[in-house]
Amino acid sequence: MAMKSYNPYEIAQAQFDRIADLLKLDQAARDLLRVPTREYHFTIPVHMDDGSVQVFQGFRVQHNDARGPGKGGIRFHPLETIDTVRALAMWMTWKCAVVDVPLGGSKGGVVCDPHNLSARETEQLCRGWVRQISRDVGPHLDVPAPDIMTNPQNMLWMLDEYEAIHGGKYPGFITGKPLSVGGSQGRKEATGYGVVFTIREALKELNREPRNTTASIQGFGNVAQHAIQLYERIGGTVVCVSSWNQADQTAYSFRKASGIRYEELLAATDAFGGIDVAKARDLGYEILPGDAWLEQDVEILIPAALENQITQENAARIHPRAIVLAEGANGPTSPEADTILSERNIFILPDFLANAGGVTCSYFEQVQSNMNYYWDKDEVLGKLDTKMTAAFHAVSDLARNQKLPMRDAAYVISVSRVAQACRDRGWV
Amino acid sequence: MKRLSDTVTTDAMRQFDREFADPEHRFKFVGSGALGGKAQGLAFIQNTLSSAFPSDRFPQIEVSIPSLAVLRTDVFDAFIERNKLLEVAMSDASDSFIAYRFQQAELPAEILGDLRAIVERVRTPLAVRSSSVLEDALYEPFAGVYATKMIPNNQHSADERFRKLAEAIKFVYASTYFKTAKEYVDATRNTIEEEKMGVIIQEVVGGRFNDRFYPPISGVARSFSYYRSGRSRPEEGMASLALGLGKTIVNGEPCWTYSLAHPRVPPPAASPAELVEQTQSTFWAVNMGKPPAYDPIAETEYLVNASLTEAEQDGTLRYAASTYDAHSDRISLGLGTQGPRVLTFDPLLVINEVPVNDLIKFLLALCEQATGSPVEIEFAMTFDPHRLGFLQVRPMVVATEYVQISPGEMQGGRVLVASETVQGNGVYDSIRDIVFVKPDAFQAKHSVRIAEELESVNRNIVTEGNTFVLIGFGRWGSQDPWLGVPVRWGQIAGARVIVEATLPAMVVELSQGSHFFHNLMSFRVSYFSVPHTGEFQIDWPWLDRQEIRQETQFIKHVRARKPLIVKVDGRTGRGVILTAERRKEEHCE
Repeated sequence: MAMKSYNPYEIAQAQFDRIADLLKLDQAARDLLRVPTREYHFTIPVHMDDGSVQVFQGFRVQHNDARGPGKGGIRFHPLETIDTVRALAMWMTWKCAVVDVPLGGSKGGVVCDPHNLSARETEQLCRGWVRQISRDVGPHLDVPAPDIMTNPQNMLWMLDEYEAIHGGKYPGFITGKPLSVGGSQGRKEATGYGVVFTIREALKELNREPRNTTASIQGFGNVAQHAIQLYERIGGTVVCVSSWNQADQTAYSFRKASGIRYEELLAATDAFGGIDVAKARDLGYEILPGDAWLEQDVEILIPAALENQITQENAARIHPRAIVLAEGANGPTSPEADTILSERNIFILPDFLANAGGVTCSYFEQVQSNMNYYWDKDEVLGKLDTKMTAAFHAVSDLARNQKLPMRDAAYVISVSRVAQACRDRGWV
Repeated sequence: MKRLSDTVTTDAMRQFDREFADPEHRFKFVGSGALGGKAQGLAFIQNTLSSAFPSDRFPQIEVSIPSLAVLRTDVFDAFIERNKLLEVAMSDASDSFIAYRFQQAELPAEILGDLRAIVERVRTPLAVRSSSVLEDALYEPFAGVYATKMIPNNQHSADERFRKLAEAIKFVYASTYFKTAKEYVDATRNTIEEEKMGVIIQEVVGGRFNDRFYPPISGVARSFSYYRSGRSRPEEGMASLALGLGKTIVNGEPCWTYSLAHPRVPPPAASPAELVEQTQSTFWAVNMGKPPAYDPIAETEYLVNASLTEAEQDGTLRYAASTYDAHSDRISLGLGTQGPRVLTFDPLLVINEVPVNDLIKFLLALCEQATGSPVEIEFAMTFDPHRLGFLQVRPMVVATEYVQISPGEMQGGRVLVASETVQGNGVYDSIRDIVFVKPDAFQAKHSVRIAEELESVNRNIVTEGNTFVLIGFGRWGSQDPWLGVPVRWGQIAGARVIVEATLPAMVVELSQGSHFFHNLMSFRVSYFSVPHTGEFQIDWPWLDRQEIRQETQFIKHVRARKPLIVKVDGRTGRGVILTAERRKEEHCE
């Protein structure tokens, strides 16, 4: 029997359908919310350094903008599909709603491998993406941001192209900009810190002290790095991280039982979060297979890399000691695995709650850019903490009161809010 | 004597759960390091009140600590380390530069949500106070050494309130490394590297009256005091009351000081008119009105000094004031007649409308029992309904040695200084350094410059590991430079004996040490008051013959060949400073 391939869009729709049933949502609202409001598919021709022209495929999906302008990242990934982008756009809608920021959900992408592009080619690709979509995005329509394998420099090229086309200064068009050109303080920390704020609150509910816990993390990119930093600062110990190795085209896990040292690993890491295996070995790390992070003897697991990493097949390998799964990545847990983890009483911090720090800070950046007035880092991170903490408690209270899993409780809050906005506008 | 930290149980406090104004749990903390001295004091109070204070004893008065959250010292460590501030902190940079650099730094991310939660839930003023680890370890008073910043916390925007709170915390952290603090720590023979700072964020006990927020009464009381007046005995204790924030008392500004055993007896004054002159005429409050000029590195940024007329408009003199009748040169109780208001606290101390004095005595006894030593407490009161906000307790170091000074010793040829108005108790026999303000160069208009010169002389002596006798004119530590040299304690912290004198051109009511009251007690500093019109005089010629170590425009630092002998009898208030040689012998040299 052929194995059914992973389709995040189908998962996102199935999740939505289940929540719609729970909420007894009317048919019109279901029809509106289970598919994107708009989708843009386009091609981006790029003159490559070798003189050839390569045509890349780009997308922008706007799932729902009833609560405010669309918000969502742009992914550069060789395995990008429209269904992935659709699912992620829908999840953005729920994510913005669960942390109660006045934004809708979007997502964009380009099928490409940035590892194989020069800086000039990447710039052409960024500018080309904006040229194709510039009439349908903007500070009051849809606000892009960095995502997998895109970065602040990419955002600045995109902003520059947008402003050239529209003939003005629109720093609120895009977020994740460099600090020197309208970026927000705290943006690079926001997602990882947000994950840890929710872990901290979960541990309080479980009556556990962070200093008596250990964690294992999948990924060593921006989210994972800052999650490690803050988790250690509140007293926790990270004993294992995994990262993708571009040269070997495989992932490795790096383990140190006494606790990894964030700074030294960072010094052995490339711009994409890949850890140099030889250097890590010299630093005393055990080098393990890529999926070994999942089976470590720890209280906290943080998948902070790609989607569909914890599945029915590997969920049983999670150590009995694990008590919290904080989804730093989008969609890292399959629905089947979700059920297994719930049965094992693992406290799940669902992705669109746990990693909502990024979009919350993006919202802050957009507000600052639109005002052209910028806040101190203290102020940004203080707001982020209270926003994330409030969102956690809203979800957790609902989960407790209605005896729902955390993921379902988060969905109930989000879908209700979005559906209500659609009703208030008279759409349904 | 027990350390406060030894008497505190963890029941007194709980981790901050983002609920600030929680009457059931007023003491909360953030982080996991040490609490620091002041916070230990508050935890001790919370413990003592919940375990030993009978709620039916003073049923009409609520007694509680203010709601507060302590940032423990690990937060301070993280702030210094992550922002790499130690280098500038330990440098010779000016206080304002250090404060500026600290303002630029970022607070640890893990506490920002807690701070944000405080300002989102509280819209009344907050006091951001230092809570030093050395203060706890040494039983020594660091009052006035590190900064306390009051913020109105009433801005419409939570963002603005958050910014002001963050600025205040950074300012208090920076004050750990201000010049005065470094010198003060040096004087305790510790190093500033050992110092760590907790920060207490606490509600200001008081009420809003027009554009001001303050307690109608604040006070400091001590269960034992060699500082006393009239017929009181040291073990009966003393209290000082003031209208408004306790800054008035801590600064040594005029306030009402009385014996706890004789609350109806006013301080000594030649006449009612003189008493009016001596009593408090202005008070400190948090400014809730028009924002002041932006100055995050000024401790008094949000404080306002208001007059009694304004207090009367506020309606806060009800329990504090009497009225002076110039016609009959009498002070009549209350506000029923026209005339200048005088803060005698008669409604409380004479009529006993609210049993404040009994409550203070009870609290002192309770704390003495728990610590096994005399104590000093600070409090603030609000009325109708009555509440005593118990702000601080400190065990006191009290010298108990028995000193006897014969009348002959006060007059002999070895007398450098003698006085029958001396605060303190004990004998010193190792001081050789004397710093004095040159009588022929002294003019009140130069008193600010004299304070600056003293700071540098003090630093040199402390660096050498010595202590000294300080002699000068007017009220040491006066806020008013026309009444004395406006030094802060840190600027003269190496002094173990202080002499305040008058000159024909500088005739003021001497302070008898009131500006540095508790500092003097804890460091066992003796304080001599020597009016030039009195029986005893300072031997200026002897001073002029000593070896000059340093001389500035207004100050001379000399060193005697042999140590001086300083004797103070705390029971009689008599004291004498003797030179090693007889005056006659010196004249022969």
